[in-house]
Amino acid sequence: MKPVVFRVSLLAVIATMLLAACAPAAAPATPTAAASASVFKIAVVFPSAHNDAAFSQSMYEALLTVQKDMGGPSKVEIAYSENLFNVPDAAAAIRDYASKGYNLVIAHGSQYGTSLEQIAPDFPKTAFAWGTSLDTFQEAGINNVFAYQADAEQGGYVQGVMAAMLSKSGVIGITGPVEAGDAKLYVDGFKQGVLATKPNDKVNITYTGSFSDVSLMAAAATTQIQNGADVLTGSSQSVVGAIGVCKDKNVLWFGQQWDQASLAPSIVVSSQVYDWVPTLEDMIALVQKGVLGGKGYTLTFANKGLVIQYNPSYTVPADVKSAADAATQGIIDGKITVQP
Amino acid sequence: MSETVANNGHKKLQEVQMVGIVKRFPGVLANDHVDFDVHAGEIHALLGENGAGKSTLMRQLYGLYRPDEGKILINGQERLFYSPEDAIEAGIGMIHQHFMLVPSLTVTENVALGLKSTRLFALDLDKVERRIVDLSEQYGLKIDPKAYIWQLAVGEQQRVEIVKALYRGADLLILDEPTAVLTPQEVEDLFKTLHQMAQVGHTLIFISHKLYEVLSISSRITVLRDGRVVGSRPTEGATRASLAQMMVGRPIIQQYDRPAVVAGEMCLDIQDIYTKSDRGGDALKGVSLSVHAGEILGLAGVSGNGQRELAECLGGLRPVRQGKVILNGKDVTRASPRERIAAGQSYIPEERMREGAIKEFSVADNFVLEDHGKSPYARGIFLNLNAIRSQARSVIDAYNVKTPSLDTPLKNLSGGNIQKLILARELSRHPKVLVASQPTRGVDIGATEYIHLRLLEQRQTGTATLLISEDLDEIRALSDRIAVIYEGKIMGIVYNSETTLEQLGLMMAGVTEK
Amino acid sequence: MSDLFTLSVLMGIIVSGIRLATPYLFAAIGETFAQTSGVLNLGVEGIMLMGAFSGFYIASTTGSLWLGLLTAAVVGILMGLLMALVSVTLQAEQGISGIGLSLFGLGLSSLLFEKTIVSVVAISGFQPIRIPILGNIPYIGDALFDHSILVYAAFLLVPLSIYVLNHTPIGLKIRAVGQNPQAADSLGISVAKIRYLTVSFGGMMAGIAGASLSLALIDLFQENMTNGMGYIAVALVYFGGWNPLGVLGGSLLFSFVNAFQLWLQVKGVQIPSNIALMMPYVLTIVALAFAANRARQPTALDKPFERGES
Repeated sequence: MKPVVFRVSLLAVIATMLLAACAPAAAPATPTAAASASVFKIAVVFPSAHNDAAFSQSMYEALLTVQKDMGGPSKVEIAYSENLFNVPDAAAAIRDYASKGYNLVIAHGSQYGTSLEQIAPDFPKTAFAWGTSLDTFQEAGINNVFAYQADAEQGGYVQGVMAAMLSKSGVIGITGPVEAGDAKLYVDGFKQGVLATKPNDKVNITYTGSFSDVSLMAAAATTQIQNGADVLTGSSQSVVGAIGVCKDKNVLWFGQQWDQASLAPSIVVSSQVYDWVPTLEDMIALVQKGVLGGKGYTLTFANKGLVIQYNPSYTVPADVKSAADAATQGIIDGKITVQP
Repeated sequence: MSETVANNGHKKLQEVQMVGIVKRFPGVLANDHVDFDVHAGEIHALLGENGAGKSTLMRQLYGLYRPDEGKILINGQERLFYSPEDAIEAGIGMIHQHFMLVPSLTVTENVALGLKSTRLFALDLDKVERRIVDLSEQYGLKIDPKAYIWQLAVGEQQRVEIVKALYRGADLLILDEPTAVLTPQEVEDLFKTLHQMAQVGHTLIFISHKLYEVLSISSRITVLRDGRVVGSRPTEGATRASLAQMMVGRPIIQQYDRPAVVAGEMCLDIQDIYTKSDRGGDALKGVSLSVHAGEILGLAGVSGNGQRELAECLGGLRPVRQGKVILNGKDVTRASPRERIAAGQSYIPEERMREGAIKEFSVADNFVLEDHGKSPYARGIFLNLNAIRSQARSVIDAYNVKTPSLDTPLKNLSGGNIQKLILARELSRHPKVLVASQPTRGVDIGATEYIHLRLLEQRQTGTATLLISEDLDEIRALSDRIAVIYEGKIMGIVYNSETTLEQLGLMMAGVTEK
Repeated sequence: MSDLFTLSVLMGIIVSGIRLATPYLFAAIGETFAQTSGVLNLGVEGIMLMGAFSGFYIASTTGSLWLGLLTAAVVGILMGLLMALVSVTLQAEQGISGIGLSLFGLGLSSLLFEKTIVSVVAISGFQPIRIPILGNIPYIGDALFDHSILVYAAFLLVPLSIYVLNHTPIGLKIRAVGQNPQAADSLGISVAKIRYLTVSFGGMMAGIAGASLSLALIDLFQENMTNGMGYIAVALVYFGGWNPLGVLGGSLLFSFVNAFQLWLQVKGVQIPSNIALMMPYVLTIVALAFAANRARQPTALDKPFERGES
């Protein structure tokens, strides 16, 4: 019987080890002592890694900025859970944060909406936020949910204008993850920008069906380039695969959701960057006043939530830059309308 | 000649002594201070019931187990075997009851397995093949070295096993129940080979529980019972009765009384049925049989010729593709097991642990497995536990099932007792038709005798019994008529009193059609 | 649509297909050895991730790609040994322990990545090597003979493993242990030793498969970058009928169809992207249904071995 006991205990050790390793990292970014009334506690749940060089990182960095602006970790406490692509896991994490007394719980993924609609009424004193969406569930009688989205098509349009002017072959490639949500907005806007500038250019779009399949994204970029594309763009965290291919083949790239210049300084022209800081500051102010939801936010050029970040290592020709500025201004003024 | 065999460097094995061997398994003393010795040129039979400790003893000689106490002497020198490799090194080979062959490999590859190749990276299969041909000629063991094992008949596979052992230079060969899977003719061939090997100085240990085999092949007999040596004696002068008494510890019935019964109406009528085997292809190709009230029809045949599939068809566990099964005048071709039970059929399956019982359940629960929905075992939707227990208790007593309690999980009972329990359960329903598939396989002589007597008793009361068995002795002892199945077809049906072993053996090998 | 069927598109499909197939080949050939000996290792995914991470980390800190590759191989062996310990020595349920290992690899590689490299950076990986003479053949040279060393190695692995499995003593032992461990044991072959060997070899190959992504094909590491490839590799072993040639066929089929559907999208063929994306999976399943070959299926697959049970 002794070997059996040994086996069971060894298995138990290994199982614990496995569980410990694969549990989502739920570490407060800033260790704080006991919560006091003056500390504003924010928790966020990410579908991908907080440092994915894309959607999640845009929110994470914004939170850090807000924290710094408001007086550091002693004033704002931030906790996050990442890689929760699995919605039930994410829902558990959201509920967990809410019950631990966080003031604002952010569900950073459009797939979390249904769960949030169920959780929010159970915690009427907690403010929730989710995106990308504009549905605050007020129609369902819920008053403690904020919603946020980005008009990704606006930056897509402006970068499309630049892409059309920089392309020599007249073939431009877009590599997207799935044909929906934020990615689709961006892709559609980009295509409109190209065709508004050079109506005869070809814009080819591929979707890989996954937010994280780096390998297939790289293959998609290779295929686009073999098909003659000399300017590429794409969306989702898996585009790092495509950027690598572009770097090897010396093909230009436009970034989306996050400043991707550092991945390949020689070929990234610019990136559309989401700046959630004003949105977050407004939300926090409302929460501190006792308003826990009901407001929807949209990042646009007009409210400076969307920014075209140029790569300092890449010199954009003056005419291209001025065309981009003109397009940006046109969108702000309403002279140019981009179909979402 | 044996010098050419002893080629792997060991000294020729002249004598093996096992002294005071003790081997314990959890809850069982498998070998209790066993002394055993064997000499070159001898065919030594190791006789005993299932569970007497024969295989356990030999597995220690072959290095598969290590004795808890006692020692093994080879040519007078003490040896410790840590694995079969050590035993092989010492010149010992073993032919297991379940062949140790890899079906997807060829004969040559199976023989070469585990050998040290003379070439560093490549297999020298051609060299191995040449030697296989040499060996098979030398000992009259016909095999095709290039054939895949799955293509071979059971008898041929056994020859591969023997060649495999000889190739490794085995002077001593342990054969564990080697005849269980063979036709009478194949048994004869095997015995010839064994005699030939003994003559050139090989040592053979022949494990068996079949008395007549032991008497016909061996020169010396050691009998084991309950892990202890009962006695060891030369074969000359031994009789079946004396050996049986040593094995069981009491006299056993040599010949059953089988009073004439006038066969009555036809109870089970199987009309030209076909069914698919698990691998595709037809396992049954037009089997027709009829069994009458008060009759035992024995179905003989070598394992794997469609017996299992036929039993499953009759039990309602396997669909019949074509043909009909009539049970007491009712067409049950597509009936469920429950409907068949209702129509008066009892079924004793071959795989009693898989089909006939649930081994984690208690004795009492297994007893009501089929009738749990009926009075007196159920009241409405509830089980009447008291009725179940009292009925189970009385039947268990009547059928002499040895169990510590009614709540003991079935898996803790011996094979013989489980089979008696299933028999008790099936027969307590007084079936009109009984389909018994291998009812005594793996069951000790005492229990076998008991089961046989019960089957004959049923026959007296007018039950129509189809007895499917691979044990020709059992078929001969119980049947009124004997049908022989070969490759899914009935080769012939004969009266037991009018047939000979040779005739049955030929039919089992598919030779004549009568 | 019409310009879809041109020579350059065909060559493009071949180039992409070969690159996509490379990690599958490494992982699936390694897994073929493990499964042939009777161990189903579902931990391939986790080992690939650990291989991808460790190879990338060492290569980016030391600047030596070869040192990175070696590290990935060693990490793969270690994880293979862990799998062998759990499934062979402790006889745990193989499917469950494999999934545990996968989750372990996913969690640990993500954790280490966050603690060391922090955010996605790229390195210069193994560069394509144009094979002399063969590489100068028009079209074919570009498609077949201008790849990185790891791509060539993956394809060379196929004939090599066929030879080892079918024509060497160790191959014979591996097959025997997977088909009838009792028989192998009775001939003095250590079942445990062989299974440790194959599972750690499989681990090494999975580690290299991961490194082929992070050091040769994509040149960066991202959390969960294998995205289920390890599981597809396990499926490819079944698809290939435990025959390296079949595994090669399955990997190429899956990868070529994947490359093809990208071209369909690029060429603007009017089918929804979701349908195009399903193609490799659907085709693989269809091929599997028609070409099912269970003859080489190891009978003892997924069954722990204990002496004395028969």
